[in-house]
Amino acid sequence: MSKKTLLAILIIAASYAGGASQARAQDAYLIGITGALTGPSAGTNGPPIEGLRIYIDRLNATGGVNGKRIQLTILDDQGEPSKAAANAKRLLTQDNVSLLMISSLSSTYAPVVAESKRANVPLMFMGAVCPKEVFPPADPLEFCTTAYGSGYDSRATLAFIKETAKEPVRLGLVAMAIPLSRGEIDYAEGEAKAMGMTPVDKEVIPPPTADYTPFATKLKDANPNWVFSWAPWVTQVKTFEALRRLAWEGDYITWGHIEAESELARLKDARFYVIGANSLFQDNLPVHKQIADAVKGASARYPAEQMTEGWIGGMVLEAALKSAGWPADAGKIRAALETVKVDTKGLRGGPIEWSKDNHYRARQYYRVYHWDPAKSAIVQAKNWVGYDVR
Amino acid sequence: MQLVVNIAVLAAIYALLACGYVLIYRVSRVMNMAHGELSMLGAYLLFTTASLFAHHPLSAIAAALLLSVVVGVLVYTLLMRRMTGQMVLAAILTTVAIGILLRGMVVLIWSAAQQHPLQALELSNPSLELVGGARISVCAGLIVLATALVYGSLFAFLRFGRWGIRMRAAGQNALLAAQRGINLNAVYALAWSLSTFTGSLAGMLIALDSGLDQSMVVIGLKAFAPALVGGLDSFVGALCGALIVAAAEVFAIHYIDPLLSDVVPFLLLIAMLVVRPWGLFGTREELDRV
Repeated sequence: MSKKTLLAILIIAASYAGGASQARAQDAYLIGITGALTGPSAGTNGPPIEGLRIYIDRLNATGGVNGKRIQLTILDDQGEPSKAAANAKRLLTQDNVSLLMISSLSSTYAPVVAESKRANVPLMFMGAVCPKEVFPPADPLEFCTTAYGSGYDSRATLAFIKETAKEPVRLGLVAMAIPLSRGEIDYAEGEAKAMGMTPVDKEVIPPPTADYTPFATKLKDANPNWVFSWAPWVTQVKTFEALRRLAWEGDYITWGHIEAESELARLKDARFYVIGANSLFQDNLPVHKQIADAVKGASARYPAEQMTEGWIGGMVLEAALKSAGWPADAGKIRAALETVKVDTKGLRGGPIEWSKDNHYRARQYYRVYHWDPAKSAIVQAKNWVGYDVR
Repeated sequence: MQLVVNIAVLAAIYALLACGYVLIYRVSRVMNMAHGELSMLGAYLLFTTASLFAHHPLSAIAAALLLSVVVGVLVYTLLMRRMTGQMVLAAILTTVAIGILLRGMVVLIWSAAQQHPLQALELSNPSLELVGGARISVCAGLIVLATALVYGSLFAFLRFGRWGIRMRAAGQNALLAAQRGINLNAVYALAWSLSTFTGSLAGMLIALDSGLDQSMVVIGLKAFAPALVGGLDSFVGALCGALIVAAAEVFAIHYIDPLLSDVVPFLLLIAMLVVRPWGLFGTREELDRV
């Protein structure tokens, strides 16, 4: 076979493959996601993306939505704003996605939001912190399924401390040196004072720290009987462990990130509480079994108990696409997202319900867990408590 | 007293990591920008061997250290050897590429989730009470001990060991050393394997003390500041640099603002570069050549 013939065959094959792929794409809902699959925050942002992928694969295997497949394009931004911007641009201009999703560091948000606005395509935050634009009055293009919500998390935590503490509360506060964590802990400090507690120290710890003991030493010297930490999991748990090594015996409450369940079992400390909006797999709900089964068959890199955020993202996406119908452009999907109401089947304390003005949820629920040495198991320290989101 | 212990532990972490930078720079004039990643890889190797030798922690640690030595030799023979005779910048850029490759590999093999080798080895990390009421965890104590042992052994090896003397000779004048019959490739391979060994040891002990994730890369990079402050071609300098940076960091956390802890090492580095660019114990002519 001559070189020219071979080249001609390759060109025809390539154009056929391209055409077929385009035809497949035109016959599917096109969704794009940029996220930190690698990099320092990959442990937090990677599992939700994997959870979403498994949910969508499962959905496609059973016929998709409205008889159409969902084509999910996943791009890694390593938590870097420049890469996230390039990903968003590619997804919007080359892949022509009708919905953009993001699971990455908050520092990547600004360029991605700008690209989404330029293309007038809705943007859904999932497994990464919800920006203030999704709270009432919400930006028309921004939506968020993530469990944590600034302000409400601190209110719920402080209410639990007040209810549980047997003596006047001397509160230590721990944040990571990133804007969102600092902002929340500053807010908690003000709220704590208003609730009659005494904030005794506030440690703002830079990300990647070789040894947390120097920070814990200062915190311990301030003699708190409760410590509240709202930061990425690494900062929360390493500060706690450093405090315990210094023989501090107080109560520690922290946000229940996706790592919380396995970490509660590892630490086995009755006075280490996690507060969160997701139920833990120890509750053994049918939906937990469903996730575990799906993860088992999907050769996942992360354990099933870290997939809740991605699963909820998938549930919301499915509901929105179902309501948008076929064919669905960005405008139809945005309109569908504004009226979404998803029963999370116990993964959350209530439904994810969005309206024109509220793209977070109508009511946010919290539950508190800790380790019970007597039962040698994780138990609920406080059942769902709801807060209206206004 | 607790502050003194905190300084000792942090200084030991920095010193153990910094000696890897010094080993390679001293022998080959290459700044290994993948040292943080190699340290992290060593810790992940321990996580793997921990599952293979579940009830034999010493075997798991020894196997992981042996593997890290092999990694060091492979990095040199497969990649860095080809940089011999090229511009120093090309060699440095190669180490940057190695770092990126290792970061990706680690996520693909072990995922980005936080891991706990201590738990995998079924060990615990209790804290011990020292004089004056200060406390130190067993693993943190081991970091201090390991650092003392590593530096003591390195001093003895470089001063009295046959290969140590060859390494010094190659570092002082590679051409002359080669003309005297010293096998430079073997010397460089030894330097890379020792550097990876010490870096991995640091990574393993940090991971045993406080868990393992991708942030270890940044900790490895932070140890670059003490190495430069002390002088990149001096082990005494690396020790002193680590002590100075650790003390400044701990005092900044305790008496000024915890946020400064991230800035202090690099403030000291900038100050040193302005006042004495070759570092406290570094050799002036060596830096001119860079």
